Amino acid sequence: MLDVGRHPNIDLLAYSEVEKLEGRSGDFKVTVRRKARYVEEDKCTGCGACKEKCPTVVPDAFNVGLGDRKAIYSWFAQGIPSTHTIDPEHCRQLKGKKCGVCAKTCLAEAINFDQKDRLVEIGVGAIIVATGYDVFDPSQIFEYRYKEIPNVVTSIEFERLLSASGPTAGHAGRPSDLAVEAEIEALEKKAGRLQRAITKFEDKYVESSSAFSKKYQDGEYKDDKDRKRWADKYAEHLAILETIEPIKKKAEGFTVAKRLAFIQCVGSRDFRFYPFCSGYCCMHSIKEAIIAHEHETETTSTIFGMDIRAVGKGFEQYKIRGGNNSNITYIRGRVAEIMEGPDNNPVVTYEDTRERRVKSEEFDMVILATACAPGRGTIETANLLGIELDRYDFVKTDPLSPVDTTTPGIFVCGCSVAPLDVPESVSQASSASERAAEVVFQSDLKKEKAVA
Amino acid sequence: MNLEDIIRETKAYYCLGCGVCTSSCPVARILPSFSPRLLVEKALLGFGDEILKDKELWSCLTCARCTNRCPAGVDYLNFVKDMRIEAKKLRQEGIAAHDGILNTVMELQTMNLKQDRLSWITDDLRVAEKGEYFYFVGCLPYFELVFGNEGYCDVGVNPLERAVNTVRILNKIGIEPVVSNDERCCGHDLLWNGDLDGFKRLAELNIRTIKDSGAKKVICVCPEGYMTLKRDYPLYFGEQDLEVVHLYQLLRDELGRGQLNFVEDNSDVPRKVTFHDPCSLGRIAKIYEEPREILSGIPGIELVEMQRNRADAICCGTSGWVNCSTCSKRIQMDRLKEAEDTGADTLITACPKCDIHLNCAKYNSDVKIGIRDITDIIVEKMI
Repeated sequence: MLDVGRHPNIDLLAYSEVEKLEGRSGDFKVTVRRKARYVEEDKCTGCGACKEKCPTVVPDAFNVGLGDRKAIYSWFAQGIPSTHTIDPEHCRQLKGKKCGVCAKTCLAEAINFDQKDRLVEIGVGAIIVATGYDVFDPSQIFEYRYKEIPNVVTSIEFERLLSASGPTAGHAGRPSDLAVEAEIEALEKKAGRLQRAITKFEDKYVESSSAFSKKYQDGEYKDDKDRKRWADKYAEHLAILETIEPIKKKAEGFTVAKRLAFIQCVGSRDFRFYPFCSGYCCMHSIKEAIIAHEHETETTSTIFGMDIRAVGKGFEQYKIRGGNNSNITYIRGRVAEIMEGPDNNPVVTYEDTRERRVKSEEFDMVILATACAPGRGTIETANLLGIELDRYDFVKTDPLSPVDTTTPGIFVCGCSVAPLDVPESVSQASSASERAAEVVFQSDLKKEKAVA
Repeated sequence: MNLEDIIRETKAYYCLGCGVCTSSCPVARILPSFSPRLLVEKALLGFGDEILKDKELWSCLTCARCTNRCPAGVDYLNFVKDMRIEAKKLRQEGIAAHDGILNTVMELQTMNLKQDRLSWITDDLRVAEKGEYFYFVGCLPYFELVFGNEGYCDVGVNPLERAVNTVRILNKIGIEPVVSNDERCCGHDLLWNGDLDGFKRLAELNIRTIKDSGAKKVICVCPEGYMTLKRDYPLYFGEQDLEVVHLYQLLRDELGRGQLNFVEDNSDVPRKVTFHDPCSLGRIAKIYEEPREILSGIPGIELVEMQRNRADAICCGTSGWVNCSTCSKRIQMDRLKEAEDTGADTLITACPKCDIHLNCAKYNSDVKIGIRDITDIIVEKMI
């Protein structure tokens, strides 16, 4: 990715959207909306001082909502180009309130609140569509209760929980526990604010709050409005301390999730949704189980699936290594349903088809290996570019020309065609750029001929 | 149908052997000897004869939990129906409950017989002999005789009250339905117990009765009757130019139109109720929201959900008046406990059989929760 950012022959138009396409293979005219970042890309050094000072906290979409970011943000630390963007939906200044803290902080003077969207027109010979995929929404499978049970997560969510740069710094905390911790934090913040206010009163009247409260309750200072505020704040503070205590006690017992269940084929190999195999989920479940075990050696993982599709060089060995060294158990059986048991623990019901027995088992966390669903972006882009989609809304290609779309001069690669893993996507990308180069060279040759 | 036809018709050949059916099955969780997956596997391996003689073929509740979740789209429900039809030809059948009285009653109705089905109609109920709407009462008069107050097997239910309530509600929204003394059992249980000939005789009689009344729309309340008239009559006799509607669909459309009004509720604490989706109403007819919308529209009632609701709801434990066993009782007790755990004081059912089965399980147990039909609540609260 860094190479792309540095390459002299590559212009990167990030944070931009294609609005219009005209022309034909070899001579396209593309209108691109370069959305306003409110940050000058060439001035921003990516130091991140602005986002530290920004007062507005927003759920972080890169961490699938599990963590927070600021209204000025970079999508993720290694993103290219290394710059920041102001989210106009949430920025106080852009919403017409008083702020501008980022502009004051930025030594490079890169913040520009007056920036507007720009439309640029570029001439290109060929186009490659690489719009990726969306994670299948598992709440469509009612029986897995993804939205109802907090500790049922998708593999992307678990990936972020395991990531050192994720919301939990790599400790696989359970979402239900994280919610409790967030509640404690919010209550403590509130208690702190009240404590400061109470201290001010204590200094003002040179009296301890408990002594004052007793007198107040006995009916002294009846018409003193200022002291009434003191009494109210003190009572509220005591009430918060009281509620916080049992929650804190409960949180003392929190550990990382140690009993993990991975459920394969969530939305894939399922006639109700996508009948085909997504191909990469078996391997990423094994990978996540191995990493979770590396982080916490007591972790045990159970992978439920009809078969583990470890197709590829070294994949089968990786699977066996996971079983031997990382406490992974593989169970042949698709999970029928997940119910919520005590302590927010998901309870998984399945048939172990090798033993021919129906079992229910409790876990700390369940990770759903969600199918590769066509990206919404792919559908929009395809409509805009006039390329055909297949019946599942992936880009339509021919088996013998797997990176050619139905329109000459427009190529496609990666998960916008079909579910693919990383090495396959990379090789397809190379293939698509070769095909695009062919078109560009041929059109250049034609132009030369015309001149001659 | 021979085995190959059944496999082809129900797409059993798509089976992935994943076990979702068996682990979704309320029976298989309790009786390990019953497994939908293994029945399909046996069929695919060519052991059809073994299935036909297998007593477990009659353990299936036809609750459609497996069919609903099958990732390969295998129609297990019809697989069981067709297998039972073949088994019945070999004189195989399930173990009849209640000494077989209901099975006998159903068979009797296939013959020429004089019925007295309408004695429940009191003067304040407006019904007609001919008209646009036909109210298909179904088995309620017979259920009253068997399970009602003076019944042979009194489990503390009064099935005919549903019929009275239904006519009251229909009258309220301006419908004077046809009810007929010539109506027969819809044939649901005979069909699903493999007696295709018996089912066809009942269906023919019913179709004639309904058509003779001049009705164009048939109103059903019993979910099994609804599905039988809507799905199975056209399946075996072709399209009939009859619109089959469920009472709740009618009522949902009626809400807010001004004819169906409820008493204002001034109590501070709403009455908590929970709703049990009958298999035929929910998973099979896909009527999930209508009863909920009706209940939520009644002032003073708060609907709380059990963890297993809508498509995940669990069957009331037995079906077709066969194979009622300790397994059925465990399923029923689990369901009642689940309902109690919601904190609701009343479990609302929408099927006369769920009502009977759950009340039967409640009998002689420490379960406190009340069991009422949705029509009871409507009539109690409507003005």
